[in-house]
Amino acid sequence: MNMEINPLGLIAALTAFVSIWAGHVSVRKIEAETIQLWKPVLIAIALGIGLEIVALTITNRSLSTVFGILGITLLWDALELRRQAKRVRKGHAPANPRNPRHAALLAEPNTHATPLNILDRNPVGRTVSAEEAILLVK
Amino acid sequence: MNPFGLIIGIATLLIIGLGFPLVIRGERYLGYTWWPYMMGTGTLIVILSLFVRTDWLSVITGVLGATFIWGSTELKEQAVRAEVGWFPFNATKIKPPFESTIKKWKTPHL
Repeated sequence: MNMEINPLGLIAALTAFVSIWAGHVSVRKIEAETIQLWKPVLIAIALGIGLEIVALTITNRSLSTVFGILGITLLWDALELRRQAKRVRKGHAPANPRNPRHAALLAEPNTHATPLNILDRNPVGRTVSAEEAILLVK
Repeated sequence: MNPFGLIIGIATLLIIGLGFPLVIRGERYLGYTWWPYMMGTGTLIVILSLFVRTDWLSVITGVLGATFIWGSTELKEQAVRAEVGWFPFNATKIKPPFESTIKKWKTPHL
């Protein structure tokens, strides 16, 4: 039986996994450190579109696949930067007190923003109140 | 012009989009302790992609596998989101085989 191995799927899987992971980490870090969010958003969009254009010009399928996937995840990261900012405002992601943009959110009256990462713990298997949620991560 | 990479990019976007309900609903009905089975399924799908001769189908299979593997690392955090009330919490989840053993392992989170 001729079982020819086609590595393209594995290449795509590795590219997708690494770029999703890198995007995940970068979005959190960049959003936490950046004051003017439009700058990294614009850079991510430009890089994403640029990589898609490169993917269109390359005939080699492996490289075209890599650039195609990287470009799309960068465009997704641009969207996630804005979603992350909303999460910080809602208290669903930790605010960075050293970032003036986040500090302003923390200083708002009745703010939901918090420097705590409410998700930084193991699950306990039941619902918890807002107060207990804070205690569990402190 | 070679549209292959662009088409693959768009397909990746759709598959990653599927990853969100995979994690949200997977955690809600099964729980985060299913993570080894999700990771294993993803790995098998990626291995399967090696034997798919049609290029675009091999890529889609690979990306689908990667989405399952990534999803397995997101289950723990989603479980905490449900506990704190940001997502609906289901108290009657279906437990996985060997759950007590799985609970002794460190749950992956990237």
